[in-house]
Order: sequence, then C-alpha cells, then structure tokens
Amino acid sequence: MKLKKIDVFSQNELEEIHSASLELLASVGMKVDSDKARAILQQNGAEVNEDTHFVKFSESLIKEKLKSVPSSFTLHGPDGKFKATVDVNHTEFATIGTPVKIYDPDHDKGVRKTVMADTINQIRIVDSLENVICSHIDVWPNDIKYTAIHAHCIYQWVKNTKKPYGLGCLGRLASQDMMNLASLIVGGDEELIKHPRLVGFMNPTSPLHLPQLMTNGFEVFTKYKQPTIIAPEALAGTSSPVTLAGLITQTNAEILGSVALSQIYNPGAPIFYGTVSHITDMRTGNSAMGSVEMGLITAGIAQLARYYNIPSRGPGCGSDSKVLDLQNGYERMQTLMLAAQAGINYITCAGTYEATLVEALELLVIDDDLIGMVKRAIEGITVTEDTIGINVIKKVATTERKGVNFLAEKHTKDHMKNELYFPKLSDRNRRATWYKKGAKDIIIRASEKVTEILQSHQVNDLPKELEEKLLNYIKEVEARTFDEYKKAEDLMVDSITLPDGIEIKDEKK
Amino acid sequence: MSIEEKMKNLVVEWDEDGLKEFCSSLLEQKRSSAEELLKIIGSIMKFIGDQFENEEIFLPDLIGAANVVKTVIDEVLDPAIRAIGGEKNTLGKVVIGTVESDVHSIGKDLVASFLFSNGFEVYNLGVEVTAEEFINKAEEVSADIIGMSSLLTMSMDFQKQVIEELIKRGLRDKYKVIVGGAPTSEEWAKQIGADAWADDAIEAIAAIKKIIKN
Repeated sequence: MKLKKIDVFSQNELEEIHSASLELLASVGMKVDSDKARAILQQNGAEVNEDTHFVKFSESLIKEKLKSVPSSFTLHGPDGKFKATVDVNHTEFATIGTPVKIYDPDHDKGVRKTVMADTINQIRIVDSLENVICSHIDVWPNDIKYTAIHAHCIYQWVKNTKKPYGLGCLGRLASQDMMNLASLIVGGDEELIKHPRLVGFMNPTSPLHLPQLMTNGFEVFTKYKQPTIIAPEALAGTSSPVTLAGLITQTNAEILGSVALSQIYNPGAPIFYGTVSHITDMRTGNSAMGSVEMGLITAGIAQLARYYNIPSRGPGCGSDSKVLDLQNGYERMQTLMLAAQAGINYITCAGTYEATLVEALELLVIDDDLIGMVKRAIEGITVTEDTIGINVIKKVATTERKGVNFLAEKHTKDHMKNELYFPKLSDRNRRATWYKKGAKDIIIRASEKVTEILQSHQVNDLPKELEEKLLNYIKEVEARTFDEYKKAEDLMVDSITLPDGIEIKDEKK
Repeated sequence: MSIEEKMKNLVVEWDEDGLKEFCSSLLEQKRSSAEELLKIIGSIMKFIGDQFENEEIFLPDLIGAANVVKTVIDEVLDPAIRAIGGEKNTLGKVVIGTVESDVHSIGKDLVASFLFSNGFEVYNLGVEVTAEEFINKAEEVSADIIGMSSLLTMSMDFQKQVIEELIKRGLRDKYKVIVGGAPTSEEWAKQIGADAWADDAIEAIAAIKKIIKN
C-alpha cells in the first residue's frame, strides 16, 4: 500500500485556517497594484478601494472561482513528445530557484557568477535526468541583457531539451514574448494552449500584495493556459506571523485571491497551489530554507491544496549551506522527503543550495538520485500473495544444502527491480573496491557524471526557417529600450526589483 | 534461431530442464559435440558476465544463470566428454567453502558463481567446511586453488588451521590459497601464509587469475 500522507492539520484545524483566510480576504483583501487587474476584479464582483488599491474578495466569490480550477494538467516538451501529468494524486519533481552563482571548485571562493553557458548546461543536464521532469529559468545568465533573458532562454530551451520549461511571469511584454516564441516553436497558439509547454511562476508578495509586473505576466500565462505556479515566499517572523499557522493562513489568502484572479482572467486556467515560504532565522534575520519548519509549512500547504483539490507545488532539496557538505546533504534530503511524504504534487528546487541562490550541476545529478530514493519511499510496501512469497521462504528454509539463500531464486529475479531502488551515485562497494576505483567521494562521482552527460548531449536540430524566426525575434527583444519596457507594463519607476532581489534598471541612468 | 541463440535464451530464462533437454538432443542427434556446446556456454557466460559488469543485469541474474549452466555441465556435458575419454578445458580448478563453525554463504557463493562464469571449474563445498574436507576434495579433483571464506572473527582462525594442515601433510606448495570475508584483511592473509586475499567477488577473480599465473 502507498504510504499515508502526512497530515499536519486535523479536519477542524483545516477548516479553521480556511475560514481565517477567507475572513482576511473579505475584511482586508489584497493590495493589487495594477489598475487593469483591479478593474477586472471589480467587474467580477470584488470590492475595490481605488485609494488604497486594496481589493476585497467575498467568500462566495472565492468559492465560485475555485470551481473552475482543474485538478490535473499535462506538461509537454517543445516537440510535444515528452509528456508529464501533474495532478492531485501523485508527485513529480522539477528544478526552480534563482541561482546567480554556480559551484566552481577551481574558483578561489568555490563559486562564481553564472553565465548563459551555465544556463544551457543546466537545461542539458535536466534533459538527461530520469526523475526531474522540467527545468525552469534557474541559472541566471548574468551575461545577457536583462530585458532579453526570457527570449534567449526560450531559444536555448528548444535547442537543448525534450522537456517542458518554466519562466517567471515577469510582465506582460516578456510573457507575451514567451508565448509568441513558444507558439512559433510548436506551430501555433492553438497547439500551445491545448498542449502547454511552459510553466509560469507568479509570486504574490507577502503580506497580501500582488505586484504589477506579476499580474501583468499572470494574465498572459492564464490566457494561454500555461500552468502557473502561485507561490508566496512568506518568511515566518518578517513577512508573515512567526507562527506557522499564521504564515499558512496568510499565504492561503494570498493564493486564494490569486486563484480567483486566474479564473477571472480565464476560467479553467491550470494553476499550481504553491509555496516557497519558510522562516526567518531570529539570530541573523536571514531566511532559512533548509529549516525543518520549511518542511512543515510545505506539508501544511500540501494538505490545504488537497482540501481545494488543486495540484500543489512545494520546495524540496532546500539548503542554506555555502558548500557541498553534510549540512547541504541532510537539509536537502530532509526537505525533499517531508515534501514528498506530505503529498506535494510538484516538488522543486533540485540542483540549488544556499537558499536557491547557488547552483551545482553536481547536486542536480545527486538530487536525481535522492528523488529516486524518495519516490521509492512513498511507494510504500506492496502486499500480495506473490510479494509475501511464502512458497519461496518454505523452499529456501528447507533446502538440505547448507548455506542456500534467496539470491538465485526466481522470486528474487522477478521482484528485485520493483522492490529495490538502485542508486546511481551512492557508493556501496567494499572498501578495497572503492579504493581501487579511485576512492572518490560523492561530489567527484557526481562531477564525472555531469561531464559524461554534457559530453554526450545532442543539440536538437531545428528547421532553418524556425531558427531564423526565433533569432530575429530575439533581435527585436534586444533592441527594446527600457522606456518601452516600462510603458508596456504601465510602470512609472526607474528600476524594477524582481521578487528574487534582482534589480532591473535603465542602463543609461 | 541458431543453437547459440536458443541456448542463450534458455540460460537467461533459467530454464534448466529446457537447456538439459536441448543439449542432450543435440548430442544424441550428433548435431553438436560436448566440446562445442561447452564453448558456446563459455561465450554465453562471458556475455552475461559483461552485462553484469555494465550493471545491465544484477547478481540474481548472474548467479541464477550460472546455476543453470553448472547443472547442465555436470549432468549432461561432463558425462558426455568423459564417455569418450576426454577432459574439459578450464582456467583452473577451485575448491571453495566457508570454514568450520561459520554458516555464512552469500559472499562465498558469489565468488563461486563469478569463478564459474569466468571459466573456472568450481567445487563449492558449502558452509562449515573442515580442514579435512577442504584438503580431501582438493586432492580428489586435483585442484589448483583452495578458497576459504569467513564472516566471523571467531571463525577466522580456522582459515589458518587449513593452511597449517596443508603444511603438516606436505601439500602446501601443491595449492594456491586465497582467503576472504568481512573480518579478514590483506595483513591477515599474509600473517597466516595465504597466497592472496580479496575484499569482494570481483577482486577475488582478479586475485585468483593473478596467483594462478605465478
């Protein structure tokens, strides 16, 4: 039987949190920066205050909008052949993070700034992994003009992987570019809408705030029905109450408000009920992504997502360590296992560390192995007459020859591949054999695996015409001025800070 | 399907009866000789061994296949060769067992299967094997190698006793001796006067191939 999912709330507690979130939405609501978003919310029954920009959502409005949210959807690779279904019943694994640095043992600090070549390598590695179904813009290409990164990344996506791809809903202009480029790649909007290729990412800002850039992009993603993650990143004690129940109540309100907006934009638009919330370390004020509390928050969110029957997204493989050490190992496995046992349907952040600010391709291949173990763990123990195996026990126990064991039994041969997970990178050799093979630790073995994958990776061949169209489109995006960008987003500011602390500003100023 | 393909399928599926029947009928109909069939079996075991090394198959596949092949050789091909006064070619004869007072067999059986798959003739005496039994069997089959396993610190000393018994009977130089098992070590092997030590089954094959040359 499958393992029972961890429930952190009783049914009464769940209802209590649900009611408290609805009360927040009805009495305070969410601050919505975008005039257009406020207008459409008002048209659909929300109560808008044009002075404060707060939008209140009634209980009936939220309940009504929840009805059209799908409980499953299927992600596709660029050519449509790779398919992965995300639903409320099972768990898939992906990347996501905002690494601006990458592990580099040759560099004196052990890390260096990321460039496009790293972004490409990350996409290629994910392409080859057994258990990771999607790469997102994880590794930030610092060498690319910030307003054109999305276009370059989509181009690299179609060139380098068979799997779907994720990007942040960073404004309507960029999001529309993503749709236009994806549409060119898959042969039209209709196909893109029918078989989604991209995963969007929409962060409300805690507490209870929907920034303009995000809702602008969110509208585009929902219009094209590209599954979009709504994932507040509240930090207990700074951007939410320090109590985990308080954080979950607040972020539940943020998610429900955003869900309502998504269904107003386009009824039936697929979304992930998500979290990337964790805690503030009260000694330093730093966020702590490897904390055991992050696992508990993630578990609470998983349970709420089940309550609303929406596929959930939560982080695993989280670590605050600065190096590839034991802390890095135990934190990433601990957060991964808790998320899986809690029944999160889309567990992310493979390959990252230092609160997802740093990437290690070595960790990415190790995480693929950890995920294999976790998948095996949540499968539980299958009990049938055949797996109980009473006949083989009788046979081996009563064999007259001394020292006969189960190894060469047909029962073992038939069941071993289903019963046992075979880790690819863990070392289980005897010491002498391990020495003979070079006495390598896990990082060295992972590094060799990375090299092997990158050396054998094949770039996807694109029709020449498509290649030209994509490159021309990138040129157009590159040519845009910052003012054009601001105008498209109805922004009257000199710089824009993205949710991950990356600042976009006019290069000339 | 060629004879080799048919035999390979029977081995991979662990169809012992099927393989016995097929080999017997080939011999009866004089479509093939026992030597030819042994050669085919050798190449099948090489194929299976390679698959194992490449982690395409796992231990049970390897040992199960080796068990099937061993039965067919013992019951069908060996008698056929002896019937015409011949002797089969092997890399060497190995008498192997777990020493007295120790019932651990898995590691030792792996070594036995590996040796067999690598073309050695293997006499697996099982567990709790006394010095007397090791030496008598080695003498009986004119063995080249005696391999002893021990999984307990308590039973390790019996490895030493077998070597002492060989010396006492003036037979020490007649056989190469290899020891192994979790509590043993290279130092231990040297200390008791063994010719080689190995940490696992793959190491054991390499070590035995090395000492048999010297």
